[in-house]
Amino acid sequence: MGEFKVHRVRFFDYMPSGIRALAYNRDTERMAVARIDGSVEVFHSSDRFFQEKIIPGREQCGIEGLSWVGQRLFSAGLNGGITEYDLTNQKVKYTVDAYGGPIWTITGNQQGTHLAVGCEDGTVKLFEVNEDKIQFERNLDRQKSRIISLSWHPSGSKIAAGMMDMIQIFNVETGHSVHRMLADRGVGTSRSKECVVWSVVYLSDGTIISGDSVGMVKLWDDQTGTLIKSHNVTKCDVLALSISQNEDSLVAGTSEGTVVQFQFVSVVLGKDDKEWVRTRTFKNHTHDIRAVAEITTAVVSGGMDAQLVVRPLLDKIEVRSAASALRKIHFPHRKLVSCARKSGLMLFQYSGHLELWRLGESEGKATPGSSLFVKRNPEKLLHLKVKGEDHIGCSAVSPCGEWIVYSTASSLRLYRLHFDNNNVSITKISKLPKVLSSANQLCFSSDSSYLFSASTQSSVHLVSLSQSGCKFVGTLKPKSGSHQAIHLLAASEDGKWLASANSDHEVHIYNLQTRKVHCTVPVYSSAVTAMGIHPTTNCLFIMYADQQMCEYSIEQNEYTDWSRTVQRKGLHRFWLERDTPCLNVMFNPQNPSHVILHDMYMLCIIDKSLPLPDDKTQFYNQLTLKSLPEEQRKSHSHAFKISKTFKDILFVELMSDQSLVVVERPLEDVATQLPAPIKQKKFAT
Amino acid sequence: MSELTQNQFESSDDELPEEVAFDASKSVALKSVKDALDAAKREKNQLKEKRRKRQQLFQEQKKRKLLPQELLEEFDTELQKQTYPSDNKGIKKNVSTKPSHNKKDEEQETRTMPKKTSKSLPVSYRVMRIKDESDAKSLQQRAMDFVQSRLYGTGTKRTTNAELLSLKKKRGASQGAAVEFANKKLGAYKKARITRSNKRFIRQHKLIPL
Repeated sequence: MGEFKVHRVRFFDYMPSGIRALAYNRDTERMAVARIDGSVEVFHSSDRFFQEKIIPGREQCGIEGLSWVGQRLFSAGLNGGITEYDLTNQKVKYTVDAYGGPIWTITGNQQGTHLAVGCEDGTVKLFEVNEDKIQFERNLDRQKSRIISLSWHPSGSKIAAGMMDMIQIFNVETGHSVHRMLADRGVGTSRSKECVVWSVVYLSDGTIISGDSVGMVKLWDDQTGTLIKSHNVTKCDVLALSISQNEDSLVAGTSEGTVVQFQFVSVVLGKDDKEWVRTRTFKNHTHDIRAVAEITTAVVSGGMDAQLVVRPLLDKIEVRSAASALRKIHFPHRKLVSCARKSGLMLFQYSGHLELWRLGESEGKATPGSSLFVKRNPEKLLHLKVKGEDHIGCSAVSPCGEWIVYSTASSLRLYRLHFDNNNVSITKISKLPKVLSSANQLCFSSDSSYLFSASTQSSVHLVSLSQSGCKFVGTLKPKSGSHQAIHLLAASEDGKWLASANSDHEVHIYNLQTRKVHCTVPVYSSAVTAMGIHPTTNCLFIMYADQQMCEYSIEQNEYTDWSRTVQRKGLHRFWLERDTPCLNVMFNPQNPSHVILHDMYMLCIIDKSLPLPDDKTQFYNQLTLKSLPEEQRKSHSHAFKISKTFKDILFVELMSDQSLVVVERPLEDVATQLPAPIKQKKFAT
Repeated sequence: MSELTQNQFESSDDELPEEVAFDASKSVALKSVKDALDAAKREKNQLKEKRRKRQQLFQEQKKRKLLPQELLEEFDTELQKQTYPSDNKGIKKNVSTKPSHNKKDEEQETRTMPKKTSKSLPVSYRVMRIKDESDAKSLQQRAMDFVQSRLYGTGTKRTTNAELLSLKKKRGASQGAAVEFANKKLGAYKKARITRSNKRFIRQHKLIPL
């Protein structure tokens, strides 16, 4: 089947960044996530929470809040500016300075006309949302302490503001403060520190719910300006609150990592008097939870442990399906590692720099499952820092190992590498064609003579590379359709075809000799997570976010027979229930019927010549096959060979010398470098 | 007068009273008045002197601070000469309110004088102190420090990630040693320190014979 020498790489010290804010758009079912390093990601909640778009951040960003206004996404941060994002091209559209100092919170009203921001200097500023920009309208009355959180009343006539030690209700028309409610400071040592009201929620019946740094969730009445009820949730801070759409369920995220749910139910069954009662507690995080959001069927939470946890609410789900399982998203759904297959080099993409490593060498033979003696250790050849404050969006190394390219939001840089004996020298190609200003995705052709750069309007720029430098050759444009940014590119081995996939689920195949669209793969309801073109048959193998797969023959412009068989028969339940997407598709030149895939927890080889498993056969049958004698194996084996030896896989690639490279990032190592967690006293420790 | 009458009472009745001439007493009285006036005048003069001396001292100090008269005159003439804008456009100058007064600086001023051609910048350019620019960043830094101190500062009960992972291992399904001992990277720093201190101890107490 396949014996591979595996390079197990653990020297990619990738650190995911903590989650700071969440915003859910109910109409498009997209969840926007803002991270502490300034990057904003958009997940599709009904497509297995696939990470559709990533907008890279920058240094010293200090993002504090996100808000959707219709289809537009706005964020505000401690640098004092409100930023609008261009989601089609996955970059920042513009930034408007609010002139109020650092901004702590941003929220839009339900009517979609205004944005309110709470600033450090104590003002609530109202901005009018126009067609193309936002414009400052006016300030509400200035207060003495900073505004930490804001919430609009659903009618848009009042705003509740959480500040230091108090909550104020403003009348939007007049701008004056109507009520001032003081929050308790707590007992003991916390009496000397001010109580910070981290989050407020304004309900349509006039109740204001607040979460503060003492650990209380308090309910206030806005008519009288008094406290109705106070719940002590935790000893540390309550950092985030979120209300469901029909206002009957509230979730609160705490510093300990627990998510507490309150529901508006009647205490006595049958009677009509309803109260807010604490119902469920979810303990899925280890560190502070900075943001929670309640979507229709699940509670999404994220915090300093950099995981996005989707916890379905089982009373809202009827059918047990993939949507009803707990989902934790640790790593991004993009490739952060790029491999020079012919020369054994690997390029690691960090947010502020790139690292080029040469793989080590081993010698000797051993039985499968054991480790070989390492003759030469892997060595770091290059540490390339990015100039400027932007973070790297995408990067690539050419298969021969001579070219490195990376792109940030504002620039694209191409470098040429020279190897003489043991020295590596790098020269920057200074005169780049003007069209190469920034790219959403980068890819080299298999003979390293062309660079493909995906840019605006779903088009791909073609640049030829040679000894003397690079030259712009042409642009590949789709015939019609969307202008969404391309997130995947795949080039064929013979240099004739290029496939591109964009965020609108469109896959275009271009003929590189005529530089025109050759064909388009029929649009599927789920996003493309990985694609690859077979070296000999030139069939495009596509993996989707809902774990479906298809194979499209480029030369014949149709699905292959094997692909139709798979669609007809359907895939095994265990395959479809996997919760992490496949990120890379590889082919083995020695066995043309093999396809190698991987996701975060498993490595899989699909043998197209073997029969497909149906629901009754045992899916993970590698161990049973080993125990059977040789003759019986053939009758029991099916097409999917799965190996779970490697954990927390970031990237897998098959090198030209038939060895596999598996880049692992153990989650325990990530956990040791996170910020400090709250000390919790557990029984028997 | 009272003195005279007292004398009259104290002396015997037989003696004739002393004859005090009118002139003498008049002169005494006048003298005392004159003395008083003189004293007042002297005091006034003294104060005046003091004040004058102080004023002089201040004048001298002020003179010391300013550039010498010739330099100022030179500046004045230069200003009157210039008509066109200088080459120093848009450069944020560090405008100093107290010009330095070493001889070297004066020389430098004279040397750089011909280069700095204009004293008046066009209306659209602004001069900013570099100190003011850093204020904007410090606001953001102060805000971040506020959040950091509220979440991680004094009063919060925080522990280390190593302890969290070790507790998980202790109560987990497959119980194992604490993370510092199991994970090579974590314990490396502490282990290195311990081996070094061990070596030092052994060398000090000469436990291993040389």
